[in-house]
Amino acid sequence: MIIDFFSAGFDVFSSPLALILTFTGIIVGLVVGAMPGLGPLMGIILLLPVAIGLPAVAAMGFLIAIFVGGSCGGSISAILLRIPGTPLAAATLYDGYPLAQKGRASDAIGIAITSSAIGGLIGGIVLVFCAPILANFASNFAPPEYAMLAIMGLFAIVVISGGSVIKGLLAGSFGLIISTIGTDSFSTGLRFTFGSHNLLNGFHIVAVVVGLFAISEMTFQMLKRDLLEIPKVKVARPGLRTISMTLKHYVNLVRSSAIGTFFGAIPGAGGVISSFTSYAVAKASSKPGEKYGEGEEGGVVATESANNATVGGTLVPTLSLGIPGDASSAMLLGALLILGFIPGPAMFENNPDVVGGIFMVYLLSNVFLLIAGILATPLFVYVLRIPKVYLIPSILLLCSIGTFALQASVFDLQVMFAFGLIGLLFRAANYPLAPVVIGMILGPILEANFRRSLLISREGYWIFLDRPVSASLVTINALLILAMIYITIKRMRES
Amino acid sequence: MQITKSIHRTLLAGTLVAASAAIALADFPNRNIEIFHPWGPGNAMAMSQVVAKAMGEELGTDMPVISLPGAAGTKAQTTAMGKPADGYTIFDGYVAPLVLQPILGNADWNYKDFKPLSAAVANAFSIAGQVDETRWSNFEEMMAYCQANRGELRYSSGSRNNLPHMVIAKALQGYDCVAQNVPYTQDGNVFKDLGSKVLDFAFINVGNFRSNPDKVKILMVLSELESSKKAFLGAPTIADLDVDVGLSNLGPMGWTWWIVNPDTPDDVTEKLRSAMERAMARQDVKDAVEAVGFVPLNWDHTSYEEIVGGVDAQLNSMGNALAWEEEELNKLN
Repeated sequence: MIIDFFSAGFDVFSSPLALILTFTGIIVGLVVGAMPGLGPLMGIILLLPVAIGLPAVAAMGFLIAIFVGGSCGGSISAILLRIPGTPLAAATLYDGYPLAQKGRASDAIGIAITSSAIGGLIGGIVLVFCAPILANFASNFAPPEYAMLAIMGLFAIVVISGGSVIKGLLAGSFGLIISTIGTDSFSTGLRFTFGSHNLLNGFHIVAVVVGLFAISEMTFQMLKRDLLEIPKVKVARPGLRTISMTLKHYVNLVRSSAIGTFFGAIPGAGGVISSFTSYAVAKASSKPGEKYGEGEEGGVVATESANNATVGGTLVPTLSLGIPGDASSAMLLGALLILGFIPGPAMFENNPDVVGGIFMVYLLSNVFLLIAGILATPLFVYVLRIPKVYLIPSILLLCSIGTFALQASVFDLQVMFAFGLIGLLFRAANYPLAPVVIGMILGPILEANFRRSLLISREGYWIFLDRPVSASLVTINALLILAMIYITIKRMRES
Repeated sequence: MQITKSIHRTLLAGTLVAASAAIALADFPNRNIEIFHPWGPGNAMAMSQVVAKAMGEELGTDMPVISLPGAAGTKAQTTAMGKPADGYTIFDGYVAPLVLQPILGNADWNYKDFKPLSAAVANAFSIAGQVDETRWSNFEEMMAYCQANRGELRYSSGSRNNLPHMVIAKALQGYDCVAQNVPYTQDGNVFKDLGSKVLDFAFINVGNFRSNPDKVKILMVLSELESSKKAFLGAPTIADLDVDVGLSNLGPMGWTWWIVNPDTPDDVTEKLRSAMERAMARQDVKDAVEAVGFVPLNWDHTSYEEIVGGVDAQLNSMGNALAWEEEELNKLN
């Protein structure tokens, strides 16, 4: 069956146009991913009008490669500059940036790219072999299961906050509160909008992330006295060395890719949750001596393999059921429809050449990501050799362009700078920033699905226990809470 | 002498202003034209990109589509209409923000407040149930079950207070059927949860249905148009079932009519209208729109008052079915 797809799709896949566009898509994706504010979704939106005039598999190869490259590109600026190019890379900061600070920027980027490519390939294998099965499993995830998963995701805050759990929880609560701003989708009432139409849909997550991380980081850099110095950064091509470094973490790699694929396959969950969850799991199961948060290779492996495996995962419901896993795959779905193909079981039967072609361009795009990424890493690392007096204004300009381009909105720029100030205050008081992002992303998922569950339920809160998967998740969440209480008490006694 | 000089200067300044305005018009467009789209990324946005691309080719410029979801589309409309009235901003005027939200008191404009360019696309909705349902076999039986079991059924119209919600609530009101509406932000999840029996019935769009026609059973297509019936593979329509929801033609459907700020200069508006009409007449545009299950519309700006005004009047006279639904549910709780 799988062989049939590959043989049917080989001709369309192997056309020079499809191959060139897949490679081009990777380059475009890496660039839009690395630029703060932009990201894979913006890249796909901007280039969809170009793609719909092309043959189907070449067009999908182009767009899927942007998705793949963009999901990885954000790690480059996260590692080099402590600025996640996209919210997907926010968790990569934890160990990517400290690794770069130790003089291992090339290694960190090489590991990030290799992990992304391998994670993407694992997601692709699941897509190819298990798409219908996984799609049917994921389609049984209903509001009660989403609500319990969101609670589980919030526990990641506790794990990633390290020694300052209370501060992490407070930062996460701040994110949860921020996420309530806008129009309540259940009552259509307005919350904290203060009569401003700009706040009707709350704050744009990208404007918040760029502000919190990029603006605060650039301000801190400006306060240092090395603005005119030319940094002496050793630029080395990572090459095959980083592949072997990544493969040493094979358990972490496979586990994080599985987590990423799982979250991708559940429509609406997304790459940010998967990367933070993978990081939390990797940190929680770290060996003695591994110092996550201080430049541990495993941290980069966990986050980057997870968020790129999510791409393969999101394609599962998109292609198998016609239900997009996230906003980027919603645009891919639209492109496929315009190109004349209706995603779903019928496409697997009627258009095996297109399905096979899409499988192959997806797998190939991850291979291209590895090649292009490794070759281009020295170019990325050269950024660190630019004196800060030039680098900081350039980055601020890119942040402003990227954030404005989201919605052609000056308000988003104001949000970016306001959250830059908040980020400065947080950092001055030693509060972690990532929990704010987790709270902002999980808040709406948790609230909407919790309320939705209660509307669907005919027996109140019992809906969370009536459904087997939801009941299992409730149990896991309860055990996690007990484990956290136990660990906290144990640490308190030890100290 | 002084007076003559002043007159000369004033005339010169006036001539320069007029000349520069004329040059600006002659040059229009000399930069990108932005289309503000009121929904998130998805099929509807892809449709707008198809039309924008063709229109941009007719005008010789790029026309990026900017997604600005929020508050049932009113955020995008408020933002677009707040931009300078120079023709470089167009609003993708879906029925929800343009007509429905003002009727519900959530926006302070009227469809007449804007300059129409041309109708773009429409998409039909349907009410669907579970494929192996044993409690009923058609829409009327479902309504009978609903009447006998008030408040027991769960349904979704996607977002709350949108057009499908209003139309379904009106249909339910006609049968005195009280069911709990469950809002969703993504149509795909509505389809998924109907398929997995979490919901009893739901609004389904053409795109989701065509991807998985075997996963749900279409009980009624909310349109009278033959093209809509065809898109839902011949399922019964409002007209077939003789269900009176007080809506006809485009009334029960989602549609968009591109509009610009009312202060946009007439010459610029005419250029935009002409380009959009040419774009909508193109076969490649029609093919792309139909491929997604949408319906390309070919009304020009002269039909705006008749068509949009007709929908406005129908929606206004429907009565507040949404308030009725809420009231009846409150009585049960």
